[in-house]
Amino acid sequence: MVKQSSSRWLAAVPSIFFPRGDSLLFLLAIVSVVSLVTNELSRSYVIAADFEGFDTDEFEYEEDANDAILSHSINPSPPAATSLTQSSTAESHHEPPQPSVIEDPPAYGVEHGGKPYASSTLEFWDEEEFEGIPFQIADPSPDSPAEPSEPPAPVEAVAGYPVPIPRQPFSLSSYAIEIVCISFLIAFAINFFIGKRQNELVALCWASHFATKDSIFDKNFSLLGTGDGKEDAPLLLKEGQDVFKFYASGRRFCQGLLATMELRNRHDLIARLTNLLFNKKDTITFEVMMSEDAMDHVVLAVARKKLAKSMHKECRDLQRFATVMPTAPSGRRWVAEDLLVVTESKEIAGDLITDAVIDQVFGEKAFEKIGKGFISLHFSDQHPADTHKKLLSLKLALPGANNMTEMTRLVNLVPYYIDLIGRYKPSAQARAKTEAARAKAAQEAFREMQGLRQETLQKKKAEKKKIVEEAEAKLSAEAIRKKEEKERSRQMKKLMPKVKMLRSH
Amino acid sequence: MKESSSTGSDPRQPSTAKPYVPPPFSPQDLPVDYAGFLAVVLGVIGVTFRYKLCSWLAIIFCAESLVNMRNFETDLKQISMAMMFAIMGLVTNYLGPKRPPKAQP
Repeated sequence: MVKQSSSRWLAAVPSIFFPRGDSLLFLLAIVSVVSLVTNELSRSYVIAADFEGFDTDEFEYEEDANDAILSHSINPSPPAATSLTQSSTAESHHEPPQPSVIEDPPAYGVEHGGKPYASSTLEFWDEEEFEGIPFQIADPSPDSPAEPSEPPAPVEAVAGYPVPIPRQPFSLSSYAIEIVCISFLIAFAINFFIGKRQNELVALCWASHFATKDSIFDKNFSLLGTGDGKEDAPLLLKEGQDVFKFYASGRRFCQGLLATMELRNRHDLIARLTNLLFNKKDTITFEVMMSEDAMDHVVLAVARKKLAKSMHKECRDLQRFATVMPTAPSGRRWVAEDLLVVTESKEIAGDLITDAVIDQVFGEKAFEKIGKGFISLHFSDQHPADTHKKLLSLKLALPGANNMTEMTRLVNLVPYYIDLIGRYKPSAQARAKTEAARAKAAQEAFREMQGLRQETLQKKKAEKKKIVEEAEAKLSAEAIRKKEEKERSRQMKKLMPKVKMLRSH
Repeated sequence: MKESSSTGSDPRQPSTAKPYVPPPFSPQDLPVDYAGFLAVVLGVIGVTFRYKLCSWLAIIFCAESLVNMRNFETDLKQISMAMMFAIMGLVTNYLGPKRPPKAQP
């Protein structure tokens, strides 16, 4: 503890205290006294070493000392030199603090310089004369030679000085972690506010383009926004910093529309950095909950080839009812080359992807122009989502906040398809086909349900049986024990009279 | 094309309008908060082994987790715990008793 605090004190010697005039002289005097003391102690140490028969060690020590002198003269400012316990403890008891820079080398010089002398005088000594003496001195000396003379001094010194701040070396590299982390945190905070504002700007731009007065959604829906329809109700619902939701309701053929904007994590610096690698887009997904009676049998998906194939694998309704439509219907213009249509029947796809839509969006020319805003389209009356089965979903990429008008045509698909599908009735042939498929699916689902129910029933039965059996086993074990006891007692009874009989005989 | 879609008069039907009902919230649906988890782990490491770097990283991941918070109540517990560990680690590192210096000349 003493050693620790003294080293701290040494480290704490502030640079503001420079020796001035008298204090310097005083310091030198103290240092010389200290060096004399240490000299004496180290000599006793050497004697001890000698008497223990460690002559070679002594020479090593000498060399070490010489090295120390050299190294100290080369490095004149060892700020946190922790091995200087002797000098630090010794000098700590006087008033003006001095920088270790100046005082230490002389202290070392004297101290270590004395040692060779000690060892040389040692050669003339009679070894037997001092037998047994040095052991008592030698014990404390290796640790800190100055300790026995004035051990409480450093503690007092620490308490007396009002500046116990541990001074660390002035190199920036020792604070590298702190500097990097704090600057990263600052950058993180700044980015949070900037990114948050950017995301909000994108969402608000979208809302002002498509959900304000006389815009597409205002003309089509009577209730806009997640509020209760009053004037100042908010249009957008914010979920986290990167998800915004827009709700609309009150239109024929549908119960409601929910648009979910998933924006890039601009507010998050780490995610932003990773987004540099994976190019993530701002997307908006329109989900229209169709009225139960307004949507006939339709399963249709349109997307770029890769995405369409993965959708076909992943979406349960597409997997079950739909197939990839390999060729375009004859004698008609069809969607662009990049796109793939996954549908339940060719006829339904042909009816739903009308000429108008091909002209405006999916045709070769139109798609070249606005295709970068389109991601996928998925209409289904058998949607796997639990909440609503009859769902139209349209996924688009959001352009920048300043180019919202680019996606007007794509957004127009939403009310167009609500009306088209709301009115659509497939021909009797197609309907019969789809009906059969649905009946089959329903049957399968029913069977599955039944299977599940039976399984659960069987499980319950098995559990009950197990419980009863266990109880029986317990009971029977007890019964067996009782029986055995009875039997034993009976046998004992049988034996007893026999013994008596034997005795009586 | 758009004109053909609105062949009827006004498609709006105020009588059928339903106010928005937020879907029932379930904590399982939330995406896994990796940052929060990392922050807790690093915070604990920082406290137990006295790694400054771990404590600082824990603070950074706390900030990350805080920024990506979706549901206030469920996430705040984890974040506050991670924050506690991280700050504790820093306090013990900088204000606690100093370890004996390593370099002995």
